[in-house]
Amino acid sequence: MTEEVPSVLDLMTNKRPDSKLRLQALNKIGEHKPYNCYQCIKCTSGCPAMKMLEIKPHEIVGLVRLGFVEDVINSGIIWACAMCLKCKERCPQEVAPVDLILALRNLAIEKEVKVPESPLQSVSMILETGFVQKPMDTVTRKLEKVNRDKLGLPKFGEVSEKFKSTFMKALEGS
Amino acid sequence: MKVAVYWGCVIPTIQYAYEMSVREVLPKLGVELVDLNDVSCCGVPLRSVNTFASLYLAARNLAIAEKTGLKDLLVLCNGCHLSFSETLHFLKNDKELRQKIDALLMDEGLQLKGSLRIWHLVDLLHDLIREEPIKNSVKKRLNGLKFASQYGCHIIRPSRLGRVDDPENPRKLDELIEWLGAKTVEYPEKLDCCGALLLLSHPDAALTFAGLKLKAVQNLGVDGLVNACPSCHMMFDMRQKSAGATVGAKLNLPVLYYTQLLGVAMGLEEEKLGLHLNRSPVDELLQKIRQVLSRYN
Repeated sequence: MTEEVPSVLDLMTNKRPDSKLRLQALNKIGEHKPYNCYQCIKCTSGCPAMKMLEIKPHEIVGLVRLGFVEDVINSGIIWACAMCLKCKERCPQEVAPVDLILALRNLAIEKEVKVPESPLQSVSMILETGFVQKPMDTVTRKLEKVNRDKLGLPKFGEVSEKFKSTFMKALEGS
Repeated sequence: MKVAVYWGCVIPTIQYAYEMSVREVLPKLGVELVDLNDVSCCGVPLRSVNTFASLYLAARNLAIAEKTGLKDLLVLCNGCHLSFSETLHFLKNDKELRQKIDALLMDEGLQLKGSLRIWHLVDLLHDLIREEPIKNSVKKRLNGLKFASQYGCHIIRPSRLGRVDDPENPRKLDELIEWLGAKTVEYPEKLDCCGALLLLSHPDAALTFAGLKLKAVQNLGVDGLVNACPSCHMMFDMRQKSAGATVGAKLNLPVLYYTQLLGVAMGLEEEKLGLHLNRSPVDELLQKIRQVLSRYN
């Protein structure tokens, strides 16, 4: 991770790599090892989201390795991953592209660029209730309205106030 | 045998059929479920936002489960199962991270030893309870029926963490189905992802994932798809109609949880197994099971 950024130039945009941002991405928790990648493209060939959303894990790994982190984050493509974990399973070099994508998502949120709504909604719901959603009413196939109580399920648990304050600390303490 | 049980978010807030059938079926196999108090989200939804906070949530839930003094923790949701396994793995290999998390846990007087054995429904039934008791619990063998299985990505990958079954050729759920007397099929799309985690950000793509797999399974001519993941169930059962519309296919494939199928084979009441909650057309399947049963039993 201490390797120098190669002195390359993106001929399309005239941009130089950003070594500081690259280090920030690589220091995020995960098992990402972009330097092990030899671009065999096994990850992208097995990627289900590639077929529909054109995400190419090997390109993301390659760009971060070179230091073009900002371009990847700004493109928004990191949010197209379905988290099926096939790339991590199948990589012959233990690169774990999915872990790198998660690290980049963390960084994108820190930098407040192109973030979809749902991950942030999860945070506020967890702060409020401890979970990402509350028990919902639903209907049977015969359109009878039911809920936990009516189905004979025990009461849904609640989290303590102490949890909420410690969770705030955890959010700040990364 | 007593096991602590962690339900997660999806199961106790909307996937009631899974919770109901698990609560019905496991005690019949000698498993007493101990619910946990003050647990929270497992951390998975926060992996994209703040990995540290996500690991903290997982560690906290595990510490609460350890406090029960029980040796085994049953984690029914695939995402939660991955989150717990991954957190234990990270904490074992990163001392600095471990210290930070330990300090946060101490705030609530909690401590994580990492002593629990973590089970998912599939390996608890297959590896701990095993073949004989399950076969013996069956009152009505499902002879003549054929099912496709759906494992869910997060209990089979990444294998380096130690998962529930083989990442490329999972068989345990298939064997569990076979122990009830039914047959299973291998199919090329078996490992395909359901798309659930894309549903909020890219709904059309997510429904296409689900629709294509359902279409493939329906074309196999099976009696249904038997499932072991609440997120996959949300896609394949709850959203089967819109998934079909997205890929231009008329889908009418019965999708049910393994515990629901096991309950039927045990001769339990359908409503207690939440079978009135499935949105996919399970009525025809249940009718067929009754016919098969009267023929074979």
